[in-house]
Amino acid sequence: MSLKRITKELNDLGRDPPSSCSAGPVGDDLFHWQASIMGPADSPYAGGVFFLSIHFPTDYPFKPPKVQFTTKIYHPNINSNGNICLDILKDQWSPALTISKVLLSICSLLTDANPDDPLVPEIAHIYKTNPELYQKNAKEWTKKYAI
Amino acid sequence: MSHSGNTTITVKVVAAESLYKRDVFRSPDPFAVLTVDGSQTKSTSAAKKTLNPYWNETFTFNANENSILVIQVFDQKKFKKKDQGFLGVVNIRIGDVIDLSLSNFEETITRELKKSNDNVVVSGRLIIVVSHSATNGSTASSRSRPSAAIGGSSRSSSSAVQSSNTSAAAAVASTAASAGTSSNSNRQYSSFEDQYGRLPPGWERRTDNFGRTYYVDHNSRTTTWKRPTLEQSESERGQQRQNVTEAERRQHRGRTLPDDRASSPNPNNITVNTVGGAPASSGTSAVSLAATGGTTSGLGELPPGWEQRFTPEGRPYFVDHNTRTTTWVDPRRQQYIRTYGPNTTVQQQPVSQLGPLPSGWEMRLTNTARVYFVDHNTKTTTWDDPRLPSSLDQNVPQYKRDFRRKVIYFRSQPALRILPGQCHIKVRRDHIFEDSYQEIMRQTPEDLKKRLMIKFEGEEGLDYGGVSREFFFLLSHEMFNPFYCLFEYSAHDNYTLQINPNSGINPEHLNYFKFIGRVVGLGVFHRRFLDAFFVGALYKMMLHKKVVLQDMEGVDAEFYRSLKWMLENDIQGILDLTFSAEEERFGEMHEVDLKPNGREIEVTNDNKKEYVELITEWKIYKCVEEQFKAFMDGFNELIPEELVNVFDERELELLIGGIAEIDVDDWKKHTDYRGYQESDEVIQWFWKCISEWDNEQRARLLQFTTGTSRIPVNGFKDLQGSDGPRRFTIEKAGEPNQLPKSHTCFNRVDLPPYVDYDSMKQKMSLAVEETVGFGQE
Repeated sequence: MSLKRITKELNDLGRDPPSSCSAGPVGDDLFHWQASIMGPADSPYAGGVFFLSIHFPTDYPFKPPKVQFTTKIYHPNINSNGNICLDILKDQWSPALTISKVLLSICSLLTDANPDDPLVPEIAHIYKTNPELYQKNAKEWTKKYAI
Repeated sequence: MSHSGNTTITVKVVAAESLYKRDVFRSPDPFAVLTVDGSQTKSTSAAKKTLNPYWNETFTFNANENSILVIQVFDQKKFKKKDQGFLGVVNIRIGDVIDLSLSNFEETITRELKKSNDNVVVSGRLIIVVSHSATNGSTASSRSRPSAAIGGSSRSSSSAVQSSNTSAAAAVASTAASAGTSSNSNRQYSSFEDQYGRLPPGWERRTDNFGRTYYVDHNSRTTTWKRPTLEQSESERGQQRQNVTEAERRQHRGRTLPDDRASSPNPNNITVNTVGGAPASSGTSAVSLAATGGTTSGLGELPPGWEQRFTPEGRPYFVDHNTRTTTWVDPRRQQYIRTYGPNTTVQQQPVSQLGPLPSGWEMRLTNTARVYFVDHNTKTTTWDDPRLPSSLDQNVPQYKRDFRRKVIYFRSQPALRILPGQCHIKVRRDHIFEDSYQEIMRQTPEDLKKRLMIKFEGEEGLDYGGVSREFFFLLSHEMFNPFYCLFEYSAHDNYTLQINPNSGINPEHLNYFKFIGRVVGLGVFHRRFLDAFFVGALYKMMLHKKVVLQDMEGVDAEFYRSLKWMLENDIQGILDLTFSAEEERFGEMHEVDLKPNGREIEVTNDNKKEYVELITEWKIYKCVEEQFKAFMDGFNELIPEELVNVFDERELELLIGGIAEIDVDDWKKHTDYRGYQESDEVIQWFWKCISEWDNEQRARLLQFTTGTSRIPVNGFKDLQGSDGPRRFTIEKAGEPNQLPKSHTCFNRVDLPPYVDYDSMKQKMSLAVEETVGFGQE
């Protein structure tokens, strides 16, 4: 079941690639992909290219894919291991979602962080109390790690 | 020496990982033998008891590019046996891995271990570093390339330098994340390291069938979800582990069942508890003692309608002309069965109202005036009144569940009576699993029904209950330990257990499941509790009930949500399914038909209900069917199938695990509210109700809300939901005329805003007692 679905998603991505994202298998293993996201223009991540690794569980799409940033990023909902706190990757997952939709959600997470459900409380605190500093830090990290 | 163009090469045998486990209880002592061109042979020292040996030993050889390097791994313990404890071999042509024409070259090589000619199964990988340098210098960086992010060269050294690694490990954590993007995304860690660096010696990182990472401590043969840190010494870790075990032991000791008498939890240890020289329940000497200690005069008038007569042997008996029955029991002495706890109607019932005893049965009194029963057919005695089962069928107003009475009935069945004689089981405390396996499997089920006499080798102490309680406590920790791959923790809460579908990694697994079934049966038979809690579905399977989608919630909440979504939504063009399932067996995918020719049948909106049913059954039952059947074979040898069927799955959990003493204050302290405040009247009523309830009802509320009656050993603060820690939660939801509902995924109960205390108490009781799954969602 999962293999068929993953193949289908791969074909769909090739036919109709989402803007500013790309994704595909790393090697022969269709269950392990790499993806990239361009930092959204209206965010401090603009200009950066962020890489992510995607692991599909054997029960996919009954279970959400495991998505992780491999590029370091300064964000309240993404920690230093690249783990992402995003509801659709957890209890709000539904089999109707696809990798393409997941990547778009992550893009919008980059534009609009969710500091009320933070994975990195320190960054969330700065995000809320000192937006300029947050912007500055995020830009610096982007420059340092993602360009 | 031999070929022309020979040069010196250095081979460092770094490690092997995931070696094949031939022995259930023992890990091998692996060592590697290196041979170049069949003429130069070197070997590593043996690593102790591990499937992931770490040698890090360097050897030099004379070789040219056509030289063949053969590395074989053996188990030192079995080296003298026929197969020499063979664990795999790697063959490498030197010219294929390094370029000898370069003056300096080093290559890290990871190879799968291969079988030899005799076809013994092997598994795992070998990691070596082959180098060649003009100066024959040291092989500085021994780390394999994929884990380059780990950095530091000398850090790869073994346990000796572990303490100095801590700061390095922390530093590595940050550099690992920042080290470039493309190489990073491919990083693969061996099973004894991760992005934070190396695990402490003897520890291994594993991923379970649900993709969760857990850590195996081969030193203590335990597993944990928490990553071990190098800061903690082995002894500190041991101390911590011991503290947890001690807490669990206390919790285990506190467990009871409603039929356990206040005065003596078990007839087996009656001699300890009954002051005044009361006889033991079984054993013939005790019986004769009791008989003589029976009835004497000086008790005043007999009740109206009663008459005392004597048998030809001169033994007094009593005739009740009201009911036309006879009894050995003097009606003036003891009219009441006082054994069934303080609150039941049974207790208040005069003996004579229960009707005559079955043929061959006799009721007697101990000299402390306690009633017991003799079955002359089987020459056994019991505290349980054999007439009570029949009263079950009478039209006593009964709740659908009446656990207490079911237990009494269950216990009173002849098949569950302890047989005369003794069953001796002697085990070593630190080898309890393997010793118990030998001891319990060599005895017949009939032997195991005799009075249990457990002995820990080298320890004094007769088994009056305490020793066997400890035995079942320790054994349940061992045999359900995911370390042995027989059971695994469910995805629901990280602590309820289910059968591991991949248990076949141990070729003997079915024998072990039979053994575990026997132990579970043995515990129930001898009224000892296991310190283990299964997923709800397993109890259902034990009762031969069909598993349904609802049961999936306790097994794998994510999967459950998706199946539910599937039923509620249009799947056309979204889910591309057939009536088949994929099964992963040690890395290989196999397709299995859920019904004949299923892989050719598409799942549509019209037939998706059937699919959900079939995939649920497959996921929960079919993929562990073999193991489960072996387990039940063992269980039913002690507990007949038809007897255990009086219980429902929730009750079976309590029967096997007992009812814990529940600390309401701790519970209350770690409860969250949604839509309510702690000060709200309804919440006050809720806690009032809980504190008035007995432990059985509290346990049932926990089962209702969290799916299990188990409380984490450190109390309610550690309650887990399907997505991590989830405190017990009360949410304001529903109408006052409705029953409470539960969401076991989130440990949440939906409590409607009831208008008064009584209606709330009644609704709560109904919801948790009435029936399984009622009002759940």
